Amino acid sequence: MKPPKERGKPIVPPCQVIRIRFSPDGKELAAACVDGVVRRWSVPDAKPLTELKGHDGWVTTLSYSPNGDLLSADSWGKLVRWSNEKVRWSIAAHDGWLRAVAIAKDRIATCGRDGYVREWTADGKKLHEAQFGVDLYSLVYSPDGVLIVGDLFGQIRVLDSHLKMLRKLEQKEFHLLDRIQDVGGVRCLAFSPDGKTIYAAGCQPKTGGFVQAFPLLVALDFATGKTLWSWKGANDNEGIVHDLRVFADGRLAAVTSGQPGQGKFLLFEPPTATPAFVSTKMPNCHSVDIHPDGKQIATSATNANSSGNGRVKGKAGEYPENSSPIQYWDIE
Amino acid sequence: MINPFCTPADHRLNRRAFLGAAALGGLATPAFAEALRKERRQVLFVWLDGGISQLESWDPKPNTIFGGPFRAIPTSVPGIHISELLPETAKQMHRLALVRSVCTQDNSHSAGVDRIQRGDPKNRGVVYPYLGSAMARWLGPGTSGLPPYIWVKPMNGGFIYKDAGFLGPKYGALALGDGKPPENLLRPAEISEVDDAERNELRELADKRYAEKRKADTTDANSYAFAMAAQLQKRVELFDLSKLPEKDRDRYGSHDLGRHLLLARRLLEEGVTFVKVTSYGWDTHGDNFNGHASLVPKFDKPFAAMIQDLADRGMLDNVLVIAMSEFGRTPRINGHLGRDHWPEAWSVCMGGRGIKPGVVAGKTNEKGTDVATEPHDIGHLFHTWFRALGVDPEKQKYYNATQPLPIAHEEMHPVKEVLA
Repeated sequence: MKPPKERGKPIVPPCQVIRIRFSPDGKELAAACVDGVVRRWSVPDAKPLTELKGHDGWVTTLSYSPNGDLLSADSWGKLVRWSNEKVRWSIAAHDGWLRAVAIAKDRIATCGRDGYVREWTADGKKLHEAQFGVDLYSLVYSPDGVLIVGDLFGQIRVLDSHLKMLRKLEQKEFHLLDRIQDVGGVRCLAFSPDGKTIYAAGCQPKTGGFVQAFPLLVALDFATGKTLWSWKGANDNEGIVHDLRVFADGRLAAVTSGQPGQGKFLLFEPPTATPAFVSTKMPNCHSVDIHPDGKQIATSATNANSSGNGRVKGKAGEYPENSSPIQYWDIE
Repeated sequence: MINPFCTPADHRLNRRAFLGAAALGGLATPAFAEALRKERRQVLFVWLDGGISQLESWDPKPNTIFGGPFRAIPTSVPGIHISELLPETAKQMHRLALVRSVCTQDNSHSAGVDRIQRGDPKNRGVVYPYLGSAMARWLGPGTSGLPPYIWVKPMNGGFIYKDAGFLGPKYGALALGDGKPPENLLRPAEISEVDDAERNELRELADKRYAEKRKADTTDANSYAFAMAAQLQKRVELFDLSKLPEKDRDRYGSHDLGRHLLLARRLLEEGVTFVKVTSYGWDTHGDNFNGHASLVPKFDKPFAAMIQDLADRGMLDNVLVIAMSEFGRTPRINGHLGRDHWPEAWSVCMGGRGIKPGVVAGKTNEKGTDVATEPHDIGHLFHTWFRALGVDPEKQKYYNATQPLPIAHEEMHPVKEVLA
């Protein structure tokens, strides 16, 4: 693999970004922002498009449906389906932090801090729900529609079409009870294009508080649950894998955020566990997405000097906010 | 001329007084014991070491740029909202008060912990006592026969004399590591009671000879530590939480903070003057929001249970409850989705003895970056707590040998809005 090259200057939104996603036609990029706004830009010229407002707290996750509708969710539990920049429907999907959204052919799945997994019709009607009593961080459908869910304690549940648990894949290295803090969690889940491999990512925590942690990516055989290969960061200050995406050809893109200001953009060529590409140029990366053409990538990171005790001052003497520069990359 | 203020001797702890009080506590009739209980002045001090975020607890700013992902929820007091991570404490808000205008000086742990717990008096060239030692000094050991300042904490325990500062080692803390009594507390089975008494007699004789040529404070502290150990030896059942109803253990939780708060309740019930409960690991520079999502509920449930239990037992009239850290956390969310140290605008929760319930003093601005009302430093809070416990900082003074010293920062005053 030739190393990807940065293209142009980054887009700098006015606040921090949790998640970025390309639309299925590749013409726009959307960002879930901590001020409750979904911001969008045209691709490739990065012109701002209409902002989508109506969320509370943080917009925590985004997912485009195949027809181009955008699903966005927030930390107060709201799920919104946007169609041509208008709200098609908006529902109170969870009690509090809605952490992940996945889309299958005719269904939408969500999970949250309230411990529920729910499935919805394309019109936002509830189909099924299941309560697992733990903070659920991530979920994804396999190519043939099997839903899997990852939690704070490193457990990956395989669910049937009524959300009953079929089996559980224990990945205990994703969790640590440090003093009274449960740290870690399966932050990201993805399937290989053939549906045979599950990719789980997050971190192997060493402490709570600061969250000293080794970023961790584990490839599991879906049929047996056996670990095929794994990658762990070299140092416990490298932090957490915050986002993980799969190319159509099976390669992987991941980003990490650590302490202080640590950030990596990584590309993998499975089953090789050593990254084929690593960039450490960007501090604290939180999201990555692959353009539908497979030749462009976008990453969101954080501005430099984003941390500091006490009253840090900006250039004009103001108390500064941080932002998440979004960088395009070209890749062959 | 008669000194209008107390002198050191008036409040000095000594072994005889300590053991006398223990005997009194043990022999009192129920009616007399109840009368004594009503006279108690006690403190529960919950220390969340590292710094709980005010924005994820007592002073949420939902839907603002620094507000984070969580919602604010109503409490039992109309108009007061706190973080959704504190649903049980929200139900107790009519028994609690918040000061949202805390503005202190130090943004490092090493300076912050000391400065906050010593009340940051003006520099007098002496080391001031921690709040627990100060209360042991002013409120005395009571009638429980137990040490007046007990610190329940994870990890190691021991006798922590440095907390006492210039008051001298005997006002130090007896730390119960992991909520357990000091090691080797119980007389080994192979040593008979008679042999043990003889051993102690011999030790006391050696202590006496040693003390003849040394400073009284040091030798008193040594004797005092032995007296405490002897007294605790008779009360080991206090530490056996397995004998409590399962319902209580469920309400407080099986994690360290829950178990330690439940032990604190027992110690307060027994009349211990000052119980400090420390929880470590609140320094959430990274992943602050998931961290608080895990940590705060483990404070919320046992803390609310404690307030309810103290209320049910009529003990909120006696016990001043304080929950705090060395500082708050930055409004600005750093790149690792953490919050750093922020002494500039944060909150403290209190309740019980001498505190007006269901009120909020002070406020921060819309983004939570500054105190928008009169700022209150730790000296203001020490004034408030002394007043709440009936100790008047205007009238009472410490004496370091013959040097009179104010008990709280003399340029500060109590936060009157939270005083009953």
